Amino acid sequence: MKKISIYILIIGLIGVFIGYKMYNKPHINVAEKPVDIALTASILLADFSSNETSANTKYLDKIIAVKGMVTTVEFDGEKTAISLQTKDDFGSVVCYLTKEEFKKSTEIKEGQEVVLKGICTGFLMDVILVKCIIMNSK
Amino acid sequence: MKILYAFFVCLFLVSFTNAQERFLTKKGMISFFSETPIENIEAQNNQVLSIVDASSGKMAIAILMKSFMFKKALMQEHFNENYVESDKYPKATFKGDIIDFDNITTSEITLAIKGNLTIHGKTKEITIEAVTKKTDEVIEMTGNFFINLSDFDVKIPSVVKNNISEKIKVSFRLYHKTYKK
Repeated sequence: MKKISIYILIIGLIGVFIGYKMYNKPHINVAEKPVDIALTASILLADFSSNETSANTKYLDKIIAVKGMVTTVEFDGEKTAISLQTKDDFGSVVCYLTKEEFKKSTEIKEGQEVVLKGICTGFLMDVILVKCIIMNSK
Repeated sequence: MKILYAFFVCLFLVSFTNAQERFLTKKGMISFFSETPIENIEAQNNQVLSIVDASSGKMAIAILMKSFMFKKALMQEHFNENYVESDKYPKATFKGDIIDFDNITTSEITLAIKGNLTIHGKTKEITIEAVTKKTDEVIEMTGNFFINLSDFDVKIPSVVKNNISEKIKVSFRLYHKTYKK
């Protein structure tokens, strides 16, 4: 009888521990995750503007590495938004960088070619990527 | 010839005024807050698209549900997968009219906006109040309002019923600039 209650107690404790771990599960760390899809800003935008529904299933929540030419770099405190040029005149791909990338982002210049890695959240006027990091700039 | 000339002048004026009357932001902020004795849940979205047409006083807002960032990853996961079903309904929208838009000035005044809010595929007519201010280049709008989860058919499982408030406070800060391009 005593044995059983000890077992139940141990199982219970493990349960609480797992529950606590899950509750405090960390956010996805983009830097450590492998890239799911790598492509250019033009292709990404074209996919969304031609068929948004299929593009949503293809790209949403995926880790995307997007290559393109920087048109604007905007700062809002320590938050940086980098817009990438596409073949479309109206839309672009806008990448919102993590705060950790702020220092690096101040070195990015307009007209420069960059590769940014982030999570795609969808399409409004532009395709939006959040939690981006700078992979490669030259 | 004279008529043609007049026509072109009109065309020019029309295009000119149009360019001046659209105000837009792609980086508006909308956050929501659920308060219960057990826990408070907060999420913020900094990629809100909002357009104000200053000639008609109409406004339109579009939001990506997946752009809402939570403090805890698990909350964000539950929000997207179970509550608002972001894969099925990736966007929330609002379309409305700013009542008495002509009263807008360079100093802050409170205006009402009446329109349709769509979340989770369900549409409801709401009237919200916003503190507004307009200059030649900027229309600023801030405010907050409450929504009921049941109005948008968002179901909360009974296990976490006490953790999530039925009334959700939504705050917004939209800093529209004249639209060039």
